[in-house]
Amino acid sequence: MINENLAHYSNLFIALALVAYAFAFFAYCAEWAFGSRSRIGAKAGAVGRSDAAVAGASAAAGEHTTVSVGSSGVSVLTRTAQEEAEPTIAGDSVRAEIGGRFAVLATFIGFGLHAAGVVSRGLAVHRVPWANMYEFSCAAALAMAFAYVVLLTTGRKVRWLGLPVTFIVLLTLGLAYTVLYTDAEELVPALHSYWLYIHVTAAVLSTGAFGVATVATMLYMLKAAAEEGKLPRLHGVLERVPSSGMLDRTAYRVIAFIFPLWTFAVIAGAIWAEKAWGRYWGWDPKETWSFIVWVIYAAYLHARATHGWKGRAAAWIALLAFLCVMFNYFGVNTLLTGHHSYAGL
Amino acid sequence: MTAGIPRFTEAESVTEQQTDTDQQAEAPGPESAADFEGGDRLSTAPRPESSLAVPRLGTWELLRWMWRQLTSMRIALTLLFLLSVAAIPGSLLPQREIDPSKVLQFYLAHKTWAPILDKLQLFDVFESVWFGAIYCLLFISLVGCILPRSLAHFRAMRGRPPAAPRNLKRLPVHASFRTAAPAEQALAAAQKRLKGRRFRTVTGADAGGTWVSAEKGYLRETGNLIFHLALLGILVAVAIGHFFGFKGARLVTEGNQFCDTVAGYDNLTMGQLVGPEDLPPFCIHLDKFTASYQDSGDQMGQPRTFDAYTTYYATPTSKPKKVDVRVNDPITVNGTNVFLEGHGYAPVVTVKDGTGQVVYDGPVTFLGIDANFTSSGSIKVPDAKPKGLGFQGYLLPTAVTVPGSMPASVFPAAQNPVLILAAYAGDLSMDAGESQSVYTLDTSHMTRLQVKDKTNPAGGNALMLSVGQSATLPSGLGSITFDGVKQWAQFNIAYDPGQPIALGSAAFAVLGLVGSLGIRRRRIWVRVSEQGDGTRLIEVAGLARTEGATPTTEVTEAAETLAAQLTVAPSGSAPEERVPEERDPAEPGPAENDKQQRKSTPRTGASA
Repeated sequence: MINENLAHYSNLFIALALVAYAFAFFAYCAEWAFGSRSRIGAKAGAVGRSDAAVAGASAAAGEHTTVSVGSSGVSVLTRTAQEEAEPTIAGDSVRAEIGGRFAVLATFIGFGLHAAGVVSRGLAVHRVPWANMYEFSCAAALAMAFAYVVLLTTGRKVRWLGLPVTFIVLLTLGLAYTVLYTDAEELVPALHSYWLYIHVTAAVLSTGAFGVATVATMLYMLKAAAEEGKLPRLHGVLERVPSSGMLDRTAYRVIAFIFPLWTFAVIAGAIWAEKAWGRYWGWDPKETWSFIVWVIYAAYLHARATHGWKGRAAAWIALLAFLCVMFNYFGVNTLLTGHHSYAGL
Repeated sequence: MTAGIPRFTEAESVTEQQTDTDQQAEAPGPESAADFEGGDRLSTAPRPESSLAVPRLGTWELLRWMWRQLTSMRIALTLLFLLSVAAIPGSLLPQREIDPSKVLQFYLAHKTWAPILDKLQLFDVFESVWFGAIYCLLFISLVGCILPRSLAHFRAMRGRPPAAPRNLKRLPVHASFRTAAPAEQALAAAQKRLKGRRFRTVTGADAGGTWVSAEKGYLRETGNLIFHLALLGILVAVAIGHFFGFKGARLVTEGNQFCDTVAGYDNLTMGQLVGPEDLPPFCIHLDKFTASYQDSGDQMGQPRTFDAYTTYYATPTSKPKKVDVRVNDPITVNGTNVFLEGHGYAPVVTVKDGTGQVVYDGPVTFLGIDANFTSSGSIKVPDAKPKGLGFQGYLLPTAVTVPGSMPASVFPAAQNPVLILAAYAGDLSMDAGESQSVYTLDTSHMTRLQVKDKTNPAGGNALMLSVGQSATLPSGLGSITFDGVKQWAQFNIAYDPGQPIALGSAAFAVLGLVGSLGIRRRRIWVRVSEQGDGTRLIEVAGLARTEGATPTTEVTEAAETLAAQLTVAPSGSAPEERVPEERDPAEPGPAENDKQQRKSTPRTGASA
C-alpha cells in the first residue's frame, strides 16, 4: 500500500530542493556577473613558455604544449588540451569565487534534498519512482544534477556547467512540481512489469545526459561565435567559458557515452512492447519519436566524422536532436494519443 | 573502390589519424594520396565543387559515380535526416496500421484534404513507397560502406602495426629519457611492457635506430562493423516477421470461447507466406474478467489490475489449463502469444417481441468511450414480429443522476449499471449486403419509438433501465429486460518468427555500439637511438586514432616504468629534446590548429 507519510515527505523534500537549487542558481549568476578576466590562463601559458622554444603554444586556443621533467628523469612533452589551462568563470574576482563556492554548496544541498525526495517517493509507492510524468521529470532532473555533481567531485573544473545545469534542473523540477504533479499512487496494469525498471531507468538517464550535452553544445555555439569576434557584448563573459574545442569535446563525449544507453532504452522498450502488446515495433507516436531522436543523434555522430559537417553544423544537429527529445517527452505525452498515455500523464 | 577510408566512425580524429605512418600501413591505393591532400576529409565522396557537375561519361561511369555518391557520408547523412523527417507525419496523422477507425474519422472531418493525403500515402507512412525508398537507399548505402570497410579491417587485423615515424616528437604525446643500457635490452623491455598491456606489437630498425610499434583498440572498428551489420539483421527480422508472421484480435465475452481459426477472428492479418492451416489449433475460454480501480485521490478511476481468468486448450484434444492472462503476461502456445489487449462491458438483455416470443437473450458487447467506461453500442433484433426492433444507446457502469442533466458514469467499475437506450422499430437493413458495425444501428428505415417515462424525466425519449428492470415498448411491439452486466476481454494473438533474430541483432547492435564508441584506438611507439656519447635515447610517443584518446597517461607511465627498469643516464642537452618550433603562434583555434599541425607534419622516414 501507499505510505502517505513518506509521500508527503517526498513532496516536502522536492520543494526544499527547489529552494536550494534556486539559491544555487542565483549564486552562479553572481559568479558570472562578478567574475573578471582570469589571469590563470595567462599564467598557465607562461609556465609553458618558460621554455623559450614553446613560444608558439597558444594557451588561449585550448591547445597547449607542456614539458615536464619528472623525478625519474623522464621528460614528458604533451600537446593535448590541458584542462588546467582553462579559464574559470570567477576568474580573479574574490566576490565571484565566493559566489561560485556558495553555489556549489547550495547545489550539493539541493541535490541531497532532491535525491531524498525521489528516494522517499520510491519507498512510499514501493516501486521505481519514475512511472508518470511528475516522477519522470523529477528523476531526469536528478540524473542531470547527478551528472554535474559527479563531475564536480572528480575535481574537474566544471563550475561553468553550474549555471545552465541548475537553470534546467530548476525549470524541470518547477514544472514537475506545479503542472505535472500527481499524488503517489499505484501503477496502471500496463506498467506492472520489471521492464519499467529497465526501460524507463535507461530513458531517464539518457534524457538527463542529453540535457547536459545540450548545455555544452549551446555554450559551444556561443563561445565559437565569440572566438570569431562575434557577440562583442557577451565577450567579457564568454572569455571565461572554456574554449570552444573543449566544449565541443565535452558535448561529444557525453553523447557518445550515452548514445548506446539510449539505443538500449529503445530496444528495452521494444522488448517490453512485445511482451505487453504482442509486437516489438508498431510505430506508436512514442516509438516513432524515439526512433527520430535515435536517428538524429546517429546523424550527429556521423556528421562529426564528415568533412564540412564538423563543428557548428554537427552542433546544430545535436540541438535539433534534443528538441526532438523534448517533444518526445512533453509533446508526445500531451498532444498525441498512443500507448504511452498513462495516469496523470 | 571506395575502400580504405572510414566513413561512419564518428570521431576518427583526423589530425591524429592522418599522419604519415597511416598512409603507408593502412590505406593502399590511390585514395591515400587523395586523402592526404584532402586533409580532414573522411568521406569518400568527391569534393563538393566537383560533385555538382555530373560527368558526361558512359553508363558504366555514371553508375560508378552514382554508387560513389550513394555510399558517401554526405548522402548517408541526408538519408538519415530524410528518414527522421519522413517518420514525423506517421506520428501526427492517424495511421491505418495502428487505428483504421481514426483514419475514417479524419476522412469525415477533412473531406477535401483527406483524399490528397491518402494519395500521398500519408495514412500508411511506414508502408509507403517513399518511406521504403529512403530506408532501402540507406541500407544500400550502408552495405556499400560496410563491405569495403570489413575487408579493410580484416586486412588490418591480420596485418601488423605500421612502422614508427622517424621523429616521434611531432606526435601529440612524447616522453623520453636516456639510458646506458644496451639497445636490445631497452627494446625488449619496451615490447614486453606493451605486449603486457595487450598491444599488438612489431619491432623494426631503420637509419634512426630500432623501434617498437604497438597498436591497440582494434575492437573499436570491429564493434562499428558489428553494429551496422546488426542493423541489417534487424531489417531481415522485420522482413521475416512480415512474410511468415500473423496477428489478429478477438473479443471474448465472459462465458464464451475463441478458437484459433481464420473464422474465429474479428480481424486477422496474415503474412504472404502463412496459410490458414498454419494457425495453431488452440482454444481459449474466458471464465471471468476482473478489473480493479483506484477509488480515491487525484488518480481516481485509474485501473490498477486486469485479470482475464481463462481456460485454454493447446490443441482441441489436450487437457484444459487454467491461466490468468494479464497485461504484460501473455499465454504462449507454440511460439504464438495471446495478449490481453482491452476490456469492456456487455449488458445482458432479454428482448421479447409483440408475440411474446423471446427473440434475443444474451450479452451484447458495448465499446468503452471514456475514462469512466461510458460504453456505447446497439442491440439488434431484426427477426422480431411484427416489426424488427433495434436499440441504440449507452451503458453507464456507475450511473449518477444529477437533477436537470443527463445521467453520467462517474466510475469505471460496474457499481450501479444503467442502460440508456433509444428504441427503434422497422427494417434494420441488415440484408442490404454492406457489412454493418455491430456497435451502431442503421436507422434509415426505422422509426423512433416514443418511450418517454413520465416518472423519470431525466431520461428524455429513451429507456433508462437498472439491472432487473424491464420496459414495455409502445404499440405492443414487445419489451426489453436488463438482466445484468458481463465483461468482455479483447485478446490479441500474434506470431512473429523474426523476433529471435531481431532480439539477437539488437543485442549485437548495442554491444557493437559500446565497442565502437567506448574503445579508444591508439598507437604507441618506442624508439631507441644511439646518442654517440655511449648512451641511448629512449623515446615513447603516442597517437590517438579516435577523438580525444591521446594516450598521455599510457605513454608517460610506459616511459616511467622503462626508466625504472633501465637506469636513467643523466640527460644531455641535446637540441632535439626541445619542443619543435614549427607551430604557428597565430593559430586561431583548435579546429584550425589540427589542420595546421597535420599539414606541417613532414612525411619523415618510417619505411616499413
